[in-house]
Amino acid sequence: MSGSVFTGYTGGLIWGLGGGLVIAIATLFGVWWERKVAGRIQMRLGPQTTGPFGLLQTVADMVKLLLKEDITPTQADAPVFRVAPLIVFVPIAMAVTVIPFAAGWAPLDTSVGMLFFLAVPSVSVIGILMAGWSSGNSYATLGGLRGAAQMISYELPRTLSVLSVVLLAGSLRPVEVMEAWRWWFIPLNGIGFLVYFISSVAECNRGPFDIPEAESELVAGYFADYSGIRWAIFMMSEYGGVIAASLFGAALFLGGWAWAPGLFGTAIFLLLTVVLVTAMIWIKWTFPRMRMDQLMNTAWKVLTPMALLQIAIIGVVIAWL
Amino acid sequence: MSLVYVALALFCIGLYGTLTRRDIIAVLASVEVMLGGATVLLVGLSATSNLAGVSTPPGETSGVGLVILVLAAAEASVGLALMLAVARRLNTTRIDELDEVSG
Amino acid sequence: MSISMIELVFWMIAAASLLGALTVVFTRDVTRMALGLGVFLLSVAGWFVYFSQTFLAAAQVFVYVGGVLVLVLFAIMLVHRSGAGRPALESRHTIDSIMVAVAVFVLVVSALQDVGSALTVTPLPGSPDAISAALLGPMLPHFEALGVLLLAALAAVIVISGGERS
Repeated sequence: MSGSVFTGYTGGLIWGLGGGLVIAIATLFGVWWERKVAGRIQMRLGPQTTGPFGLLQTVADMVKLLLKEDITPTQADAPVFRVAPLIVFVPIAMAVTVIPFAAGWAPLDTSVGMLFFLAVPSVSVIGILMAGWSSGNSYATLGGLRGAAQMISYELPRTLSVLSVVLLAGSLRPVEVMEAWRWWFIPLNGIGFLVYFISSVAECNRGPFDIPEAESELVAGYFADYSGIRWAIFMMSEYGGVIAASLFGAALFLGGWAWAPGLFGTAIFLLLTVVLVTAMIWIKWTFPRMRMDQLMNTAWKVLTPMALLQIAIIGVVIAWL
Repeated sequence: MSLVYVALALFCIGLYGTLTRRDIIAVLASVEVMLGGATVLLVGLSATSNLAGVSTPPGETSGVGLVILVLAAAEASVGLALMLAVARRLNTTRIDELDEVSG
Repeated sequence: MSISMIELVFWMIAAASLLGALTVVFTRDVTRMALGLGVFLLSVAGWFVYFSQTFLAAAQVFVYVGGVLVLVLFAIMLVHRSGAGRPALESRHTIDSIMVAVAVFVLVVSALQDVGSALTVTPLPGSPDAISAALLGPMLPHFEALGVLLLAALAAVIVISGGERS
């Protein structure tokens, strides 16, 4: 059997480790940005004393969390409880590797990249269920159950919305999708992008879809019993999910680097990503939390038909392209 | 040849579990192991063998794998739904307690 | 005797899948069983990558690890509610079953003896293009039948699991 198959994957592994590190650092600033934006929305200033504009606040928080005691509850199933945060985080960091950051370049350039981006983060549902179940706590178990139901439901409209991009570009390789991208994909694929964006917010378990961790009903849901660094990994995976979803949306729906040549294009791509991240934060701090049945109805009765409609529209239009 | 041994070992481990387990969910998981072993063997042989000088086109190798994948997913979801219905009505998931129709 | 990189990868995937399968079959803890199943299903995706079927591997992760395994965990959590202690999984007829399993292994291995010499081809990558050509070409009946099957399964699951209106 040929060795060439694996060289791509060894490369991907190295990029994956680097990507995990980058994502970990990016989430630190993501948290800072969220606190700043949330502060502004609530007529506050947000963090401002640690470093310029409070930039080092989350770094300081990280150090604090690292020094905190790492508690495993006596009721918990210890090995499963300990490994669960990593199973939530690693797939999300892996998913970032297929995103095309510059013309013709993605860290892991694979012919099934679009599917990879959707498939790999779905593994983190397992981590959420493991965390919920192994805590040996009813709140955590309920949170885990809710999280799994929600993430499985929203995977469907999310996949269908990405499918419309795949149809338009005629490829599953993200780099080729970006090369096929034209500006009029945005209006043509508007419904698809909306569905992608909403279901991505839900996939990250963020408000208004944060019922798996609803503080007022479930304490903190599936990670109620976590403390210290393991709790921090859960928070990092939430922000990592937001950043990954925004990167992917900015690249494949909004054009990313296709707007301008060279490094300038990558800068526009990152700017679009920041806009999407900000929009997600804005949504979280503006809308009230949904009820479980409303959440399920949105996924199955609104978003899925919308995504199917989008695919039908593109199926008709593509005949004239 | 080691592929055949490993895949068959997986299949037989799953077979053992299917025969011995008493809980429906464990039987279902063992059936998944059997299916997985069989799929690995099928896809592996299809990708690497040229029995009688004929090798399978790569698309069909994956296509066969996808067919099994979909079949197995449908099987698992129907099986789990049945398990939930049984657990709800009869309050047990032990297959040796479900003997209503045995003589 | 030196082991090549490819052989090393082969045996790593084999070890992971055997470990997962043995956990599913022998553990007494229902959560460990589900996690063993997870290791096994991921290792099957590893096999597909090993055979250059990357699309199949991604589909395996998506459908199995993200879908079926979550359903299994979900069912476990609904049926074996937490709190009342961890239910132990029991086994029966162990001796007879081992004999059956070993007999099947020996039987099929002896039947497949002549396959070994034919395993010489380097696997061709199962690219999305090739798969779509196959699924919409010679495998079109299978493809359509699967669509009908999935619809039937979906309807069946809804009827079976939600059909209690008293």
